[in-house]
Amino acid sequence: MIRQRRVTVTSPQTHLAMARRRTGVRADLPHLAPADLERARRIHREQLRRALVAVALLAVLIIGLPALLSAFPWLDKVRIVGVPVSWLAVAALPYPVLALLARWQLRRAEQVERHRGAP
Amino acid sequence: MIGAAIALVVLATLLIGARGVAAIRTTPDFLVASRRISPTLNAAAVSGEYLSAASFLGVAGLVLKDGVGALWYGVGFTAGYIAMLALVAAPMRRTGALTVPDFAEARLGSAGLRKLSAVAVLVIATLYLVPQFKAAGLVLTVVSGTPYWVGVVVAGAAVSVTLALGGMRAATYVQAFQFGLKLLLFIVPAIWLVLQVSPDTRREALAPVEFTRFDHPTPVVFRLAVELTITEPTPVTISGQPPRLLQPGHYTAATGTTWTFAEGAAVPGVDGALPPGGERWSRPLLDPDAAGYPLLATLSVLVATVLGTMGLPHIIVRFHTSADGRGARRTAAITVALLSAFYLFPVVYGLLGAVLLPELFLSAGTDTVVVALPARVDTGWAGSLFTAMLTAGAFAAFLATSLGLLLALSGAVSHDLLPGATVRRLRLTTLGAAVFVVALALPSPHLDVGVLVTSAFAVAASTFCPLLVLGIWWSRLTARGAAAGMVVGLVASAGVIGAGFFLAPMPGLAAILLGQPALWSVPLAFVTMVLVSLRGSPPAWANAAMLRLHLDETERSRQRP
Repeated sequence: MIRQRRVTVTSPQTHLAMARRRTGVRADLPHLAPADLERARRIHREQLRRALVAVALLAVLIIGLPALLSAFPWLDKVRIVGVPVSWLAVAALPYPVLALLARWQLRRAEQVERHRGAP
Repeated sequence: MIGAAIALVVLATLLIGARGVAAIRTTPDFLVASRRISPTLNAAAVSGEYLSAASFLGVAGLVLKDGVGALWYGVGFTAGYIAMLALVAAPMRRTGALTVPDFAEARLGSAGLRKLSAVAVLVIATLYLVPQFKAAGLVLTVVSGTPYWVGVVVAGAAVSVTLALGGMRAATYVQAFQFGLKLLLFIVPAIWLVLQVSPDTRREALAPVEFTRFDHPTPVVFRLAVELTITEPTPVTISGQPPRLLQPGHYTAATGTTWTFAEGAAVPGVDGALPPGGERWSRPLLDPDAAGYPLLATLSVLVATVLGTMGLPHIIVRFHTSADGRGARRTAAITVALLSAFYLFPVVYGLLGAVLLPELFLSAGTDTVVVALPARVDTGWAGSLFTAMLTAGAFAAFLATSLGLLLALSGAVSHDLLPGATVRRLRLTTLGAAVFVVALALPSPHLDVGVLVTSAFAVAASTFCPLLVLGIWWSRLTARGAAAGMVVGLVASAGVIGAGFFLAPMPGLAAILLGQPALWSVPLAFVTMVLVSLRGSPPAWANAAMLRLHLDETERSRQRP
């Protein structure tokens, strides 16, 4: 008969609390096989590049949009179907753009993993 | 009806929680079971935990108080998940760390850094929790008419009871359900309100006129003492006394009084508040206290909310329930879409509130605009029904976030700061933390829910954001550098915000730089971390410790089966 090891069933927090008996000293130092190391380096470099592009685009949106509204106050007076354009720019416009940006970055990040880190 | 609605929320939550717990028991290990959860469900859970009373009530309240620019809060709260997706989600999941203190130890191998991170968790969670309790107390006050302290104590009791019954938060299902509930309870009343108000009101909401005269006899209930500036003789009836004509000058509306302003009377001025509908109010940039630097103030809030999201202690643990790094990344991406749906709606409450309940800005009660609107629009059963729906939603938001944060807070105290944790002590610490937060919320009814939550984001952005970003992407980060950067970030953000509570309000630029320090405290923390790290050298294993966070799981398992 195979005996299954008994495991305490707890919530993640409790699990976390109970697991924290160890003190400072690491049980095993992190290491990677040489082949893994090389691939990890490639993936890291490529992911960093793509992440920075995404963050830069995000910065363009959330810094550029307020700057635009600040520079062109007349946008408050222009209305589309009765709504000031500048209000649309803060209340509605950012959300679809953010959702698209998230989707785009997700695709790109997953691509790197699919191609095993090859450029 | 309102009590019943709140009870229903708590009951439904507990029932679903019980189901989740039953499902967990059939599997050997909770963590293995939870890894079957799909990114979509997990994203709903993240959103459920994230949407707090500050989002449900605070954003609309800030629109009424500070103007259309307050809508940037919603944008920042959502955009944070893009930073999370691009920089943190997948590698963080691969460390196996459930909290930032865990991450600090796993990546940099320093017990001291774990303690320092726990202190930051403590500060962030407290800054985040106090406004939640304040909002819950205020809502109960508004709908039931009891004093503020009763509301806060009842909210504290509700949290403690839910905690004592246990397990509520454990299941992802509960949080996912909470998200659906909050979305429904927020969107349906918003649509009803838009359809219910007259076409004139709708037109006026989009082309607001400054609130300078009362257009009907208006009772204003002062739950807190407020300084009013009257500029012309104003007929007022104070708490049922005979009508008086107040001469120009400064007056104090005492706590608990009701001032009824006659039709056509001029609207008094209030320090630090903007009458809704004016030119400055309509500008889509944040300019609190009329400091005169709207672009800077807006960017400061955006930097804090976007970069702070990745360090929120109650959110990071949620990403651990993803199957792997890829699942965590997908969770973050879907969360952006889910939050976008929610944050399209606070504007409805804010703009309608500016037309229908502009007097709320006089009594520092703008945080209640969401729950006060239905009764203003319809005095019949429909109004009561939607008030009950919104109250229940606000309470659900309060419960979800508070429980997550209380557990994060007590976790940090009982196992990061003190040695040797037991379940019993964890439970006691949680109750103690609830009492502590209630005690802090009692004297702070004046604080803005949205502003205080943003302070929590600013502290997270100045401490955990540099730690996580550099820890994940830069192998030369040393434990000493990380500690120095965190201390500098903590002092620059929390210290400055804390000092702001005691100092007199500053004029102009200083008000923004001290009230919303993220714009300079985050770069300062980054620079400190980098410079101090460059002076030392990381241990030999640091490179591997960082690089393995970027290897995707299937690749590695093929190498070492």
